[in-house]
Amino acid sequence: MGSRNFPSHLFVRLSLVFSLLVGGCRAAAFGQQSAPVDIVFRGATVMTASHGTIEHGAVWVHSGKIAGVGATVSAPQTATIVDATGMWLTPGIIDPHSHSALDSDVNEATSPVTPSMHMIDAFDNRSADLYRALAGGVTTELLLHGSANMIGGQAVVIKNKFGLDRDAMLFKNAPGSIKFASGENPKRVYGSRDQLPSTRMGNFEVMRMSFEDARHYMAEWDAYDAKVKKGDKDLVPPKRDLKLEALADVLRGKLFVQIHCYRADEFLTEEAIAKEYGYKIRAFHHALEMYKVAPEIAADGTAIATFADWWGYKDEARDAIPWNAVMSMRKGVRVALKSDSDDHIRRLNSEAGKMVHYGGATEDEAIKMVTLNPAWIIGVDDRVGSIDVGKDADLVLWNHDPLSNYARVMKVYIDGELFFDSSATGWGTTHFAGVMHDGGDFGSEDEENGQ
Amino acid sequence: MRLLKQIATGIAVLTSCLAVAQDRPSASSPTLAITGGRLLTVSHGTIENGVLVIADGKIAGVGPAGSVKVPKGAQVIDAKGMTVYPGLIDPETNFGLTEISADAETNDLEERSDEIMPHMHVADAFHAETELIPVARLNGITNALVAPASGDTIAGQDLFIQLYGNRQQMMLGNDVALAMNYGAEQRRRGGRGEGGRSKYPSTRMGLITELRQTFLDTQAYEAKKVAAAKKPDAEFKRDLKYEALLPYLKGDRPVVIGVYEAYDVETIMKLADEFHLKVILNHVTHSQEVLDEIATYKVPVIIGSIYDAPRANERYDAVFALPAELAKRGVKIAISSADGGGPVSSHSSRNLPYAAGMAVAYGLPYEDALKAITLNVAEMFGFGDKLGSLDVGKMANVVIANGDPLDVRTDVKKVFIQGVEVPHTSRQTKLRDEYK
Repeated sequence: MGSRNFPSHLFVRLSLVFSLLVGGCRAAAFGQQSAPVDIVFRGATVMTASHGTIEHGAVWVHSGKIAGVGATVSAPQTATIVDATGMWLTPGIIDPHSHSALDSDVNEATSPVTPSMHMIDAFDNRSADLYRALAGGVTTELLLHGSANMIGGQAVVIKNKFGLDRDAMLFKNAPGSIKFASGENPKRVYGSRDQLPSTRMGNFEVMRMSFEDARHYMAEWDAYDAKVKKGDKDLVPPKRDLKLEALADVLRGKLFVQIHCYRADEFLTEEAIAKEYGYKIRAFHHALEMYKVAPEIAADGTAIATFADWWGYKDEARDAIPWNAVMSMRKGVRVALKSDSDDHIRRLNSEAGKMVHYGGATEDEAIKMVTLNPAWIIGVDDRVGSIDVGKDADLVLWNHDPLSNYARVMKVYIDGELFFDSSATGWGTTHFAGVMHDGGDFGSEDEENGQ
Repeated sequence: MRLLKQIATGIAVLTSCLAVAQDRPSASSPTLAITGGRLLTVSHGTIENGVLVIADGKIAGVGPAGSVKVPKGAQVIDAKGMTVYPGLIDPETNFGLTEISADAETNDLEERSDEIMPHMHVADAFHAETELIPVARLNGITNALVAPASGDTIAGQDLFIQLYGNRQQMMLGNDVALAMNYGAEQRRRGGRGEGGRSKYPSTRMGLITELRQTFLDTQAYEAKKVAAAKKPDAEFKRDLKYEALLPYLKGDRPVVIGVYEAYDVETIMKLADEFHLKVILNHVTHSQEVLDEIATYKVPVIIGSIYDAPRANERYDAVFALPAELAKRGVKIAISSADGGGPVSSHSSRNLPYAAGMAVAYGLPYEDALKAITLNVAEMFGFGDKLGSLDVGKMANVVIANGDPLDVRTDVKKVFIQGVEVPHTSRQTKLRDEYK
């Protein structure tokens, strides 16, 4: 691939020199103002993602939660009114597959099984990736390990409260997810070193071998616990092993399994192995050939997080068709669109718009693919992903129908607090001051061949 | 079940081969009248309820209903509720030079053996049967510039194509422009497949000096050639590299210079001025500081990818707004496809109109955006009298869609190239229909 565009990451230092280019970006340090207790958005086209679109609707936010939605709401007189006439209001965009803000620490590609890696350890909360995603309306992201390993690391779920401390950006009490991968990437990464796995046979056997290790480890601990329970004294406990503990958590169903996988045959093999070892697969990611086996996978309850229209960048993406998402949805699969890219994450809304074109998704179905459905994949759909009473007030105001590429984000609220305002001078951030860090590669992690 | 699928696939492949054989435009295209549609002429505004007449592969009439006579015997296509516009032209693709990005055997993107390669002709490698072309065509792309990838300072000569016909019909213009690049990427610093070894030129100083020496050598070669033509000289030997550069040093044909940074733009434009090159600037992604200066060059600019990353600390829309900022300064612009941060990926060429739509969202007037993917591109590469607008006498490359062509939600219904309706199929539609 000799045709890379300019490697912008080489120019971090230069970029600092030129940093005041557009709009005098360095805003004064922001005070940590607290958000108003009550906010009412009035006059907007409200796309709820769960129960249709309300023209000239109103949404009432109380203490960071949605307290009312409808043609009218009964908010107190003291509420701050946001006149959203002529604008669109949607839930915050949710990306179920991002490698933002991880510098180039996406793959611990030194072993095909690295379940004890935690992406939170690499999370850089000052990365410009987050800022640009926020300016594209993204409020929640699942930051995943890369696809070099059959069993990669554990994901971190963030709320894109750009400008807050690292801990304040974590999505509190979100379920854990772990990244698996199969196909070309692990084959190539380890095959090129003459290591296992270099084939798809090797891919899947590496998984089985790991789960055998985990079962043995669990049995050792179970035996120990049983003896302790029986009252045995002076026992030496088995050695704690972080890798095997993580795998045991997979087998105990404590982690959502998110699998990078392209081909139809691989979905079927992955489901068979999951059944063999007794865990569930939450979602296949990429899943470009899902349209070929959608009814089978729908029956297993596994969702997909797919691209709108990427294809042809590698052999296993050759049969990708832009109708995949809608065809799979019509056959019963829960479908989300995802970025896997610090570029596409900025425009997931119009990627969803493409689904109107490719397969005739309704606007409701399309908006769900970048809000409620990815929320389900992450396991936070009871808290975000739609405009419903009781949910977190993660909201985006747009100047145009968000399913069109003409739409620009006007304002982004997270937990009822304003985090981005495009009309503000400089960056438009409301909480960030200081210096942003450049992220890793701007392109797709996977297009980068999982390295 | 699998066997059945395989057989089905086999049949699909077979039928697609047959389809390809029949897919070519016949010698004479039928006379057509597209009526009732909203015509975006590009050159002279929008015509509601318009009539477009196509005869002999050319546009034979265009205007409001009633003002244009529908010829007797013409096949009438009802385009009521539809938008009709000229075929889109992508100013930078790798069509026919790539198939599967990660599969080296399917790529002929650039000759990496040396950085001065003007004698590489895209036309020699163009694989007309590529699966990428029908995919782009379905979204209304009818013409494109095919360029080599950007690793060399002088990468070769570009091919201008139409996206339908047999290979010869598709190749509308061989060697229409010289593909040049300048900046950090072209430095021979190793790590780019050169085994980690640096070689000359490994700095910007080296790149510029080597280019200047090459152009001087070409001028010296030309002097020798002229002399040899007057008085036969046994010593004189044709040199393909210099021969290739001659038309560009004479300013007969454009040189497309891919450059990103402001200071690189200034440096390369000084060199271009020194040798009177006819320049088309490409990218200028990080040149916001010198937009006024770029306007003074009076050269056209291709912007792509509009999705490239701004620098850290730049406002999020610094690149989205670039087309609008340049157009505002009177610069003639074109917009190319390609995804941000990715290679010039012609797999995404079908998204060309959406990049133009994005530019509109960030301030570019709609008419300018449409021109930036039609007429302006045609003019840049010498096809201004043949393509890029709905005007009588031009090739009938016409698209009918169910809405605004720049909006992602719009569905293209019909595509005509030189008056022939192109089959609305690709390998992807065949897969879709197979698994319906």
